[in-house]
Amino acid sequence: MGKRKSLIKIKPKKYKDGEVVKVSFMVMHPMETGMRKDKKTKKVIPMLYINDVKFEYNGKVITTMKVWESLSVNPVFTTYMKINGKGDLKVTYTDSSGEVNEKSKKIKPKG
Amino acid sequence: MQRREFFKQLGTAAVVTTMIPAMSFAADAPKPKSPNAFSYKQAVEVITGGKPVEISSKVQLKVPEIAENGAVVPVTVTVESPMTDSDYVKAIHIFATKNGNTRCIDVYLTPANGKAMFSTRIKLGQTQEVAALVELSDGTFLSAAQSVKVTIGGCG
Repeated sequence: MGKRKSLIKIKPKKYKDGEVVKVSFMVMHPMETGMRKDKKTKKVIPMLYINDVKFEYNGKVITTMKVWESLSVNPVFTTYMKINGKGDLKVTYTDSSGEVNEKSKKIKPKG
Repeated sequence: MQRREFFKQLGTAAVVTTMIPAMSFAADAPKPKSPNAFSYKQAVEVITGGKPVEISSKVQLKVPEIAENGAVVPVTVTVESPMTDSDYVKAIHIFATKNGNTRCIDVYLTPANGKAMFSTRIKLGQTQEVAALVELSDGTFLSAAQSVKVTIGGCG
């Protein structure tokens, strides 16, 4: 499996220290339920979905999510986060196949 | 009388012939069931451990009333909470009550979130209720639910 495309978005783009900002994390993932059939081969497509998502900010766990297959294809996870100095926001996500990926974004508050 | 019986036989024959392929198809390809199938009641019991759940206006569940495409239904849960170390929202659970697996996502928040909100997109198989169950840091459970009309199912 190749690396999956993912994206972390922070709104608003310019933020100050101590501000509460919106954080969205998007992944390109098929999120197969295991109930869909291939139209040509008539075989059931095996289950494949994201199990676990973890948001970490400067090594401190902010939000953890336990995910099941009924989330949409290419899921989006949006929450709020309090900016607390410079650092890294790291998102780690695990697949039901055991594939672990991560994505990080630098946090640079201004003012 | 004879004519009537002839039609009866014809009718049953037609039913049988249409049934046979359908049955054989069903026999070699039974509809797969989700291995983590959970009913709504079971799921709530597992999470709350039998504690009472209060339907509260503090929990705001934002879902479209009519979802044209069941494969992508945006859901937003907002909870009124100060999010301080002593009083914060511990977890938000989102359910689709009639999906094979009702549990969609469990979100565990911390005071570092600053605001108790979570938003995502879920799949809905049919017209049903979407529910949110919220656990506060003092151990109480709040919930909110809203029905969603699904035009095209998004599962399978």
